[in-house]
Amino acid sequence: MDTTAFLQNVSNGVLIGGVYALIGIGLTLVFGVMRTINFAHGDFTVLGMYGAVAFNAAIGWDPYAALIVAVPAAFLGGVLIERFVLSRLVEAPPETTLLATLGLSLIIGNCLLLIWGPEPESVNVSYAATTIALGPVRVSVVLLAAGVLTLAAITALWLFLSRTETGRAVKATASNRLGAELVGIDTRRIHSLVFGLGTSMAVIAGVALIPLLFANPTSLGPIFTLKAFVVTVLGGLGNVWAAIAGGLILGIVEVLGTAYLASEYRDAYGLVVFLAILLLRPEGLFGRTTKRA
Amino acid sequence: MTRIWIIFAGLAVAGLVYPFAMPGMLSVAVTVLLFAGWATAWDIAGGWCGQVSLGHAAFVGLGAYVVALGQVELGIAPWFTLPAAAALAAALAWCWGRLTFSLAGPYFTLSTIAVAEILRMVAINEDWLTGGAIGVFISTLPEPFGIDLFSREAQYWMALAFALGTIALVAILSERRFGYRMRAVREDENSAMAAGIDPTATKLHAFMLSGALTAVGGGIYGIFLSYLEPHVMFYLFLSVQIALTAIIGGRGTVFGPAAGAVLLVGAGEVFRTAFAQANLLIYGILILIVVLFFPRGLVAELTRRIARRRYARSAQSE
Amino acid sequence: MPDLLRASELTVRFGGLTAVDAVDLRVGEGEVVALIGPNGAGKTTCFDALTGFVRPGAGRVELDGRDVTALPPFERTRLGMARTFQTERPFEDLSVLRNVLVPAFLRHPRRAEAEALARSALERVGLADRADQPASDLNLARRRRLELAKALALEPRILFLDEVMAGLNPPALAEMIAFLRTLSDEGMAIVLVEHILEAVMQLADHVVVLASGAVIAEGRPDAVTSDPAVIEAYLGTE
Repeated sequence: MDTTAFLQNVSNGVLIGGVYALIGIGLTLVFGVMRTINFAHGDFTVLGMYGAVAFNAAIGWDPYAALIVAVPAAFLGGVLIERFVLSRLVEAPPETTLLATLGLSLIIGNCLLLIWGPEPESVNVSYAATTIALGPVRVSVVLLAAGVLTLAAITALWLFLSRTETGRAVKATASNRLGAELVGIDTRRIHSLVFGLGTSMAVIAGVALIPLLFANPTSLGPIFTLKAFVVTVLGGLGNVWAAIAGGLILGIVEVLGTAYLASEYRDAYGLVVFLAILLLRPEGLFGRTTKRA
Repeated sequence: MTRIWIIFAGLAVAGLVYPFAMPGMLSVAVTVLLFAGWATAWDIAGGWCGQVSLGHAAFVGLGAYVVALGQVELGIAPWFTLPAAAALAAALAWCWGRLTFSLAGPYFTLSTIAVAEILRMVAINEDWLTGGAIGVFISTLPEPFGIDLFSREAQYWMALAFALGTIALVAILSERRFGYRMRAVREDENSAMAAGIDPTATKLHAFMLSGALTAVGGGIYGIFLSYLEPHVMFYLFLSVQIALTAIIGGRGTVFGPAAGAVLLVGAGEVFRTAFAQANLLIYGILILIVVLFFPRGLVAELTRRIARRRYARSAQSE
Repeated sequence: MPDLLRASELTVRFGGLTAVDAVDLRVGEGEVVALIGPNGAGKTTCFDALTGFVRPGAGRVELDGRDVTALPPFERTRLGMARTFQTERPFEDLSVLRNVLVPAFLRHPRRAEAEALARSALERVGLADRADQPASDLNLARRRRLELAKALALEPRILFLDEVMAGLNPPALAEMIAFLRTLSDEGMAIVLVEHILEAVMQLADHVVVLASGAVIAEGRPDAVTSDPAVIEAYLGTE
């Protein structure tokens, strides 16, 4: 096996895996706090991609600049969805929220389809093909930018969760909702906040991906959602650090599988791993053994 | 019980009269009937037994491919390949259920998506078997008693038989032992076990029956389209459509899923002109409405309210 | 009297906690055995282990001489065990009759026979006139009776009743005691977990006292309740 090529593949896998981790973190955060499986999560990533395309088309700025508008908008959207849809379903069986978010996924995807049409969209940036040499491997600038963005978003989230009063309230709500309420935390507000944060993370990942991938309105969302599930189930649902590890593993597995096994099955490797983990270790690779939800 | 069969007879008569009344609208009717059958079949596992699958397109695809490949590659007529497709689907459902029924609620649902997506990728990539992404074209079909199976009329009758057969089967099962076993497993697995019911076996049987019936509909769908592409046959959104049709209509009811099919395919036709390809928008909006305001499903909730009003009126007049 | 049910050295551990500690239990045909003890003594866990809802860490359970320790709950039900749950769990969405049809189908695959059995079980517990009501509409006393009807529709040889008398008012309690007496007179073996000593004294042929998962005393009801160890462990804490 060619070592340089192998390292090249691994570095690409790590960088793309970082973006998967970012998508997965939003999903796992929402699940950890709200016990809700958000089927529309990947559609928010696609919304982020289209946001960047629109921003670029309208003002002509660099697509990354779309974050200035997209992140607050995604946060607000997430809060509104939690307030008007999900908070009404707290008492309902868990499938119900899955179905509600599936409905949201269909609405987002099909609205995008109505606005943009079925043709894939992307953004042309002048540095799309530029690469930087890092030792023996060459890393594309857009992949590196995605990695940096991921790192920044995850660091910011981590600082928020560990260093702020509200962040600690989020963690308290995740570990014991009733206990959190007893010490005076408004868990309804925390749920809205967390769903807003989750959608924001998904949208940031979308902006990071647009120079790398073509956006299409309906079919890409569920693919991202599935990848996010793979990432989170790999690490253990509800665990932010494990999601990062899960993202990196998925990225590397996909890139190596594509390079050394059969390239057509790129999207299947993650799913096979996903099924295997669900069946053999439902608590995740890094999760503690606890009762099944 | 008798009321169910009166409604069923009404549906059967409507189905028999329809092609003579509206001979120009057969394609839509075939679509309605296929979805009615699929949603009713889905509901055996999803509604009666409580195992929500978002992977039923895998059974549709399996049925369609078995019928198409049987005809194109081996020259075997559909009436032999349809039962074979059902048996294969049951076998697939058995393996699939064995693997995934240890998972609870939402996790089971997620795993069904994964299994169906993996099958879709196999159908796309194993060209030697499926014709790959290009697909399979059914160019000739046998003509039993001189009937042209490519004609919309013949396809209508097949789809009608499929839909009515599936509904009748569910109507019968719903009042038999198996129907009660499924209900018990859906409501509470521990209570079911206390009643001597093996939950895993019950789920497996429900899933196998559900998958086998769906595959029969898939075979008819293959003939109806006469051109099979993996992207259409194993489409994630087809799975979603089938599940949502049943849920919007009313889970665990005999006619709810079929009513859902009439409503949703009908709405899809209306919206097709307005919204082009975005016709799944209506599914998204309706499932949100159902989840928020009509948790039993639109049709089930409606009949419940009518029954309650009638009850209130009869109580008043007494 | 030959033993219908025999448990020996039955032990259940949850992590470091021993919930049931080497319990021996024998129930003969038509015998009524009561399990009593303070809260947290392991009575319900013991029940779960006997009926198969919890896997014991050690020990064995025999029904009619056959080792059923490894059998899942539904297999034991088929062999003649029936149980009620402490928090009664009717199939809320189904009518009272349909609730009882579920177990009635166990030995009667034909609908007409199953329905006849279900109706007679409802008749026996006095719920016949409520057959078409949704189970969710029943009050507590009637839910208890529905649980009992569900268990009877299994046509069991041995009935495990987990606190079926808790929360009943005096007339309902007297009715329930009389009904269980009749069942026992007809030859049904009954194992009770019960807090209401009055009921235990009237019904039980044999009483087993559990504390911290272990048997601390057993014998005839009057003998057991005068045992100083029992008074200290159980009655003293009440």
